[in-house]
Amino acid sequence: MREGNMTYESQKVAIKYFVISAVFFGLQVVVGLLLAAKYIWPDPLIGFLPFNTARAIHTNLLVVWMIFGFMGGTYYIVPEESGTELFSKGLANLQFWLLLLGGLVGVVGFLFGWTAGRPLLELPVELKWAVVLVVLIFIFNVFFTMIRTKKWTVIQGMLLGGIVMLAVMWLFGIPFFKNLTLDYYYWWWVIHLWVEGAFELIAASLMAFVLLKITGVDRQVIEKWLYIEVALVLITGIIGTGHHYYWIGTPNYWLWWGGIFSALEPLPILFMVFDTLNHVRHRKLEVTNRLALYWAIGCAIFHFIGAGVWGMLHTLPQVNRWTHGTQVTTSHGHMAFFGAYAMLILTVIYYALPKLKGLVQFNQKRGFWAFWITTITMMMIGLAFGVAGLIQSYMQRGLGIEFLTVQGFMRPWMMGVFFTGLGFFVGVLIYVVDVLTLVTKKA
Amino acid sequence: MEKKGARNFFIWGTVICTAVFIWLTIDTHTTIPKRTNTDKLTDEVVKGKRVWHKHNCNDCHTILGIGGYYSPDVTKTYSTKGETWLKAFLKNPESTDPQRRKMPNQKLTNDEINELIVFLKWVDAIDTNQWPPKPITVAKTTGVALEETTRTLLGKNLYNQNRCDLCHRIGGQGGVIGPDLSKVGGKYDPQWLARKIKDPKSVNPTTQMPAYPQLSDNEIEALVSFLTGLR
Repeated sequence: MREGNMTYESQKVAIKYFVISAVFFGLQVVVGLLLAAKYIWPDPLIGFLPFNTARAIHTNLLVVWMIFGFMGGTYYIVPEESGTELFSKGLANLQFWLLLLGGLVGVVGFLFGWTAGRPLLELPVELKWAVVLVVLIFIFNVFFTMIRTKKWTVIQGMLLGGIVMLAVMWLFGIPFFKNLTLDYYYWWWVIHLWVEGAFELIAASLMAFVLLKITGVDRQVIEKWLYIEVALVLITGIIGTGHHYYWIGTPNYWLWWGGIFSALEPLPILFMVFDTLNHVRHRKLEVTNRLALYWAIGCAIFHFIGAGVWGMLHTLPQVNRWTHGTQVTTSHGHMAFFGAYAMLILTVIYYALPKLKGLVQFNQKRGFWAFWITTITMMMIGLAFGVAGLIQSYMQRGLGIEFLTVQGFMRPWMMGVFFTGLGFFVGVLIYVVDVLTLVTKKA
Repeated sequence: MEKKGARNFFIWGTVICTAVFIWLTIDTHTTIPKRTNTDKLTDEVVKGKRVWHKHNCNDCHTILGIGGYYSPDVTKTYSTKGETWLKAFLKNPESTDPQRRKMPNQKLTNDEINELIVFLKWVDAIDTNQWPPKPITVAKTTGVALEETTRTLLGKNLYNQNRCDLCHRIGGQGGVIGPDLSKVGGKYDPQWLARKIKDPKSVNPTTQMPAYPQLSDNEIEALVSFLTGLR
């Protein structure tokens, strides 16, 4: 492995994907702070940017910056895995601009009420088809790069599988459903099978690649573990979709299927933690990019806590009966997304960006500040949401006290979310500045 | 396990689980007509669903427990609040209390309001496996159902907006600082109630209840007519 350099010129298209990914992350957090404030104080922006619009922007920015991160990561990795330049740099650039344009039109559209009005899938149907087009270009470009050399590594295969799954599941979010129960049945085919299926495949492949490169552990070992992890993710995750089918009008056998399979869902993530630590312990290279290593290990641990443990605890039917539709879900959502995917994308970016810029050494101080600030504050955000959610579950569901009255009792904890959220924002700001500094640096 | 074994585990595990999931999906579809009363899923209900989407209601409210957590769940709104209340509320949802979280007026037409209510009525009847659960403390209902006139509904809104439920409870719901109001209508006459709300100390000098001078005579009258209905 050549130190301090990328191998193929066309890998450089990843840079602009990483920049937008970082900037949108920052914007997402700003809107998140606004949302938290709306829980606490009277809302002066209600006429222009009410809660529902702001929430649509917050969640869609999240999806968009993650997609940018995944795509950038893929464009970085595929040439190196295939041992060839990208099939088309032009298409990769075109696709970037189309996605950026689509994202911006979507956000501005929300401000003017142009929406499909379904949570997380608010994009109007025209834009949803535009996304399909962009993703098709992406898959086409990736696939034709891979078949140039036909070096079918497991990492590549999983990555391609994840991207294709991402695209296929998205299609279930496009039609209008007359029946609300069926609407939500297939809504989860997008939401759940993305985050506990397609995203996991993509993330596991990207992580396997980074670990392979920074630890120098034998590819055979890494790829064997990749198979096992992804197998467990899909075995538990696909039927685990059932933990969303307890109370939406679907049969009660889902309480069993969903309950049992989601109880097993932490298993693959636990494997990932062991496997990551194991690879690091048996590393054959001296790790120069300690920052990427920190993000990778932190990712495995946070993924396990936020998605694995916290997710499992409240998907048990006996618990979910009381916590469903409360801030407990918000707590889990924030910790899981940050641990499983945000930290993964940051790992990839902190690994790839210095290489793309040809930097053998780079100043990792800012990156470490960002690491500690964001991980600690996100843990606190998760806890504050969690306490608010427990208060809500107990008072509102358990004691039957009226919704807004209970919100008053949750207020101190929502303030906790807001103020630790300010801290989180500082951490993210440091990260964004760091990315922009690295990008503008000359080798 | 060798790499080949891991690969077979991956392939067969995924294939079998996908097959089971698809089988469960097909079976679920056969139960939908009965569990969601698809025979009552009329065009008007669908129109109501479109109103629900058009105003992006679901990014503040939850329905079937899914959506934004900023505002109350609407799954059982139809049966708990009733049609009259819903009509009045959807026409003008803005609360008079600046401290209270408020819903912006969506400026719905009368047709849209009716469609939305029909949609909520259909949602209310979905078999959700008893979700949301009944509170652990079994709510004692008042003896007679509240007579829903414009007057009593305004009174009920005022009761909610002024957060009387922080201290008082009705039918087991609310705080424990003040007396239970579940049967207050049978205990006191309207004049006494009006005086008690306007200036509590004039009735009982040691009471902790604050005065509500901000309420107009008309509002106090509405609140009293709501309270006298509780028997």
